[in-house]
Parts: sequence; structure tokens; C-alpha cells
Amino acid sequence: MHAVEIEDVTKSFGEKKAVSFLSLQVPRGCVYGFIGPNGSGKTTTLRMIMNIIFPDCGSIRVFGQSRTTACTDRIGYLPEERGLYKKMKVKPLLKFYGEMKGGRDLDTEIDRWLERLDLSEWAHKPVDSLSKGMSQKVQFISAVVARPEMVILDEPFTGLDPVNTDVIRDAVLELQAAGTTVIFSTHDMATAERMCDYIFMIFRGRKVLDGTLSEIRDQYGSDTVRVRIDGDAGLLREIPGVSRIRDHGRMQELRIAEGHDTQEIVSAIMSQTRVTYFEQTRPSLHDIFVRIAGYNAEEETDE
Amino acid sequence: MNKILKLALRDYNASVRTKGFVIGLALAPVFMCGSLIAMLFLQDHVDTADKTIAVIDWSGEITSHLIDETTRRNENDLIDAETGQKARPAYIIETVVPDRYDSDRQKLVLSDRVRSGKLDAFIEIGRSVVDPRENRAEARLAYHSESSALSDVRRWMFWPINNRIKMLRVEQTGLEVDKVDFITNRIALEPLGLVSIDKSTGAVKEAKRSNEGEAIGIPMGMAMLFFMMMMMGAMPLLGTVLEEKMQRISEVLLGSISPFGLMMGKLLGGVGISITAICVYVVLGIITAQYLDVGEYVPYHILPWFFVYMVMAIFMFGAINSAVGAACNDQKELQSLTFPAILPMIIPMFVLFPVIKEPTSTFATVLSLIPPFTPMLMVLRKAAPTTIPEWQPWVGLLGVALFTLFAIWAGGRVFRVGLLMQGGPPKIRDLLRWAIRG
Repeated sequence: MHAVEIEDVTKSFGEKKAVSFLSLQVPRGCVYGFIGPNGSGKTTTLRMIMNIIFPDCGSIRVFGQSRTTACTDRIGYLPEERGLYKKMKVKPLLKFYGEMKGGRDLDTEIDRWLERLDLSEWAHKPVDSLSKGMSQKVQFISAVVARPEMVILDEPFTGLDPVNTDVIRDAVLELQAAGTTVIFSTHDMATAERMCDYIFMIFRGRKVLDGTLSEIRDQYGSDTVRVRIDGDAGLLREIPGVSRIRDHGRMQELRIAEGHDTQEIVSAIMSQTRVTYFEQTRPSLHDIFVRIAGYNAEEETDE
Repeated sequence: MNKILKLALRDYNASVRTKGFVIGLALAPVFMCGSLIAMLFLQDHVDTADKTIAVIDWSGEITSHLIDETTRRNENDLIDAETGQKARPAYIIETVVPDRYDSDRQKLVLSDRVRSGKLDAFIEIGRSVVDPRENRAEARLAYHSESSALSDVRRWMFWPINNRIKMLRVEQTGLEVDKVDFITNRIALEPLGLVSIDKSTGAVKEAKRSNEGEAIGIPMGMAMLFFMMMMMGAMPLLGTVLEEKMQRISEVLLGSISPFGLMMGKLLGGVGISITAICVYVVLGIITAQYLDVGEYVPYHILPWFFVYMVMAIFMFGAINSAVGAACNDQKELQSLTFPAILPMIIPMFVLFPVIKEPTSTFATVLSLIPPFTPMLMVLRKAAPTTIPEWQPWVGLLGVALFTLFAIWAGGRVFRVGLLMQGGPPKIRDLLRWAIRG
């Protein structure tokens, strides 16, 4: 039995179709990454799994149960925008959220997580005295403190500095190691590549990618080369057979147009300048994302 | 159910365990009944500065008597017997000879003296006051000051002037003063309640004397208390639901509890807050009444009705307010919907006096059986001295219970849709659509 089974789910808000005939299966114990541009339907899908909103048609089963609030206690939820009672103190707040999930032995678990995320000294301080990063960590603890079998994290790394990003990422992987199923949405393709066993991409409400990273990259073949050249990278634009260039500064990533060959491209470059580095590679998740979502989405993911 | 109670307990603690709640508890009666309390407190604090009143007596027969009466008053009635201090102003009469050639100018001069503060008022006594049959136009008494209608001086002057006129008329007609007094002697019609049987002795009990405090004060007090409880229990839901929506707390909670459960938790929290407040007021009210030796006036028989109707009203209005709060996206939108949302709570306040005066009238009966108005008006009618038919509070309760269930059902549907809805301001049409379609 899968942790989540979604079959032909559609959800509209007025005229706008947020999710369209979506089917998805999330195996237990995996880390499943939801990617997609803003407004593509990620949060709507996560909210439907949480039973916060209901699909117009189709079915969603969580741990084999269909449309029931009973199983929500088995799911921890971190919404996209943080929701904490500002006047409450950290520990009572976590206890309240834990109790709302039917958690037991919460004091021990809260203390463990506060220590794990370096927040012990803030346990008795009001939430509105915390920094944004600390609030984010408190919100994360509130999602996991009741020891759920699955956690749904909507943009868990947004607004975190690199240190805290690593802390939360390690915590997520620790949860997975303990057998927890993790679903999270992100705009950070590098994080998705590093952490996810499976990646699902939704675009304009429709599923456009679903599978392991390797499977997804295989779908897009080996049509990318990375080169480092002496001189102006601008000359690469003149090379025939290059459909797109991504300039990383010291290195350029070229996508080879259909019907052209890697050797042909490299020879053409070498005829014009000296090549100091060359690598044939499969497209990154970022590239795939951009290919699907287009230039506007690229801007979003670069943020 | 456990989660609903936990949520209610959190909301209850977040409200009750604050200084704001305690201060609000203390100040709410002051704000609600502030003017009444101030009037009672300040009624003996009058201006004791002497008042000078000019009198133009065209009849020529009143002023001397008026001077005698004011002198008697000034000698006997100004000092408070207990404190020995001056408690009232002396009235000083200034006689003004009527100007037969330019009376209007004379009144203008006196008016200017009043305006400049050199005089407090002037009285013009008409030429024909003793016998109006001579010339009705000149049979008038006129009191001129800057605030004549509210003047204590005017109220006092009425009696000595009219007594003098009466005496003069008696003399003119040749009647004896004693006989006239006997004929015109009036007997007060005492306001009494109904007689009843003393259950312990079986004897007929004498009817209690009815007073304004019992007839108006107790029903008004109960109505005000009821309104305060709704303000404390149901009204804040408008703001707190919106605040939790804006801060995304609602979304976190919806991951743990159904929208209906979330709303019920908030309603129970509101009920808890109101019950706490009413318990404090009732206990303090009873203690104060016993201390002031007016314990017999505490309407114990109404308290159960008060509690039941209050709980119903908070569920009913709380559900409506929660739905409205959930439908809004910011404070500005909430402001525009607040008035229509609380209108059903306010309308009964507009009809308090007619209902107290005639609790069994068709108007009071019909209005008190319309569910949104029933809780406050039925409590008001029960608190009035007039007995209302026994069936009416029960029928009212049934109507309120049904309407409350409907309000919770419809409010719950709007709450669920509105809580995650972002975008434009909600319209009444949207709220109705959400309530119907869910």
C-alpha cells in the first residue's frame, strides 16, 4: 500500500483549473519532491492530500483511507506560509500543535527537537521574539513533533539561510531514515536533486514529470555539454547546432539541437578557440524544469 | 471532540488569562452604563452658586409673595443637615418695574445681562394671570434663560407663582382657602404588584410596591448584561478568525481538524469566555445586592433562562461572525461587513423601552419570537414585572435552537470556503452562495 494514491483528481477555483486529472502514487518511506512554477498547482495538491480542500472529482487515498480526517493525525503539515500564534511561548505552542495531532509524550519530543535545531534557550520565549529563521524551525518542529508517519512540507527552505537550510535538510533526511514518508515542494532544483527519491513536476495543473531523478534525466537524453573556453563566450552563439546556451560565468552549458552531434559541436568550437574543459552530461533538473516551464520559470528558480 | 475542546481551551486561555480581559471585565459595565452611573453619582453634586432672577410682574401681585417664598427657602433649605454645608444655591429675586413704553427693549436689556453672566434668568408675569378671561394673550408666565428647559430654578419657581395665583383666585371668588384645598387635594395612585399566597403560612401576602428600579432598572440591566456578553463572546470572533486566517494559523489547524471542528472550537471558546464573565458579574451582583440590602430584587428566576439564551446567542452570532471573519482578507474588508454582521445583535437594543413598557404587546411578542432577536428580547420580557405567557420562552427557545443549528451549518460552510479563499472582498451574494453550495 502506498502512502498516497491520487487518481484522476481535478480541482478548480471558479474559472481557473488548478489541478487537472492528476494521478500520482507516493511510496512509503521515500522523499517525494513536488516541483513546478508558482501557481502551477503544487500547494493545491498538497492541501488536497491534507484534506484541507476537496477535489472536484477523482479520488485521493492516504494510507489506504479515502477522504477522511481520521488519517490527518498521521500526517505532519508545514504550510507554505507560516502560521504561529505570535503571543504564545514556543514550548506551549508546540505542545498545542502536537496535541492537535493526537501526539503523546510530547514534552520529551519537543525538548529533543528544540535541542536538535538549537532552539532550547527559546523554549519559553514568545514566538514574536523569534527571528524569521527561528520561526521557520519552530514551524517545522510543529509539523513533526507528533511523530507522524508522513510529513508534507510546502516550501520548507524558503527564507532560510544556508546553515539553517542544511539543518532542516538533515532533519528531513533523519525523518526518512526513521521510516517517515516525506513530501515536500520546492523551487530549489539543487535541493530536489540532492534529497528526493522521486520527483514530480506539475505545470499549469497537469503532471509533466514523475519518477526518480535518473528516470527523468534519461527521458531527456545526453544532449548537453559543458565547456570552458579561452576568450569571449559570446562566440559560442555562432556555433551551428547549439539550441541554447546557459552561461555559468567560468563555464558554459550548451544544449545540442536535434539532428546534431556532440563531436561536430566540439570540433566547431575548437576551430575557433581553445577548449580547456569539456564534459558531456545529461540535463540537470533545473534545465528540465526550464525546458518545460520556459524562461519565466527559469527566473523564478534562479531566485 | 477532544481536539475541539483543546482548541476551545487554547482560545479561552488566550483571552481570559490576560490583563486586557480583567480590565475589560471591570470597564465594560462602566462603558455600558457609564452615563447612568455618572448621573446617580453626580445627582447631588449641583452648582451651589447663588442665582439672581429678575422678575417683571405686569400683574403687580405676585413678586412680593415670590420674594417671601424665596427668602423662606434661602433660610431653610440651602444647608445639608448631615454635612452642615451649603448644598443648594440661594435664589435672589430682583424686582424690575415693567416698561410700559418699550417692553421688548426691556427684555432685550435683561437678555443681554443674562448673556454677560450678570443675571441668571428673568421671569415675565403676564397682566392677566390671575384672571385669564380678561385677556388670554397676557395670561402667561415666561421664564427666560440660556437653558430654560433644564432649569431647576424654573421648576422651583412654578410652584410659588402658581400657589400665589391660586390664592388670589380663591380670594376673588370668595371661597374659603381650606375648602379649596380640601376639594383640590389629590391622592397618589400607588404603583403596586399583584397579591400572592405566602407558601409557608398560606396567608395572602401584601402586594409589593413597584418602583422604577424594578420596572425598568432590572430589565434594562439584564439586557445590557446580555449585550455585553455577546460583545465579549461572539463579537471578537470577527477579528480573531480573520487574524488567524491572515497569519495562516487556520491553515495549520485545518491540517489537524475539520473546518467545522475549528469553528466549533472557536465558538466554545467564546461561550467559555462569556460564561466566565457572567459568573463574575452575577456573583458580584448578588454580593453587592445583599450588601446594599436589596437582595430581594435579584431576579434569580431569570438566571437559568439568561444562561441558556446567552449560550445559544453566542453560538448563533458566533457562527455568523466566524463566517464573516473567514470570508474577509483584511481589516478593511472586515470593517465594511462588521455592521451588517452585528446588526441583528443591535436591533433589540433599539426597542428596549417599548418592550419593557408593554412586554405582552403584539409588537413585543412577535419581535421576541424572531430567532435573532429572541435571546435578548425574551430575557428582557422575562425580567419585566409583567408576566408573559409560559409557553413563549419555550417556543422562543425552540426557534433559537433551530436557527442556531442553521447558523452553525451555513456559517460552517462559509467558514470552510472563506478560510482558504484569497482575492477580492466578499460580497453578501458570495457568502450566500458559499452557504448554499458549500
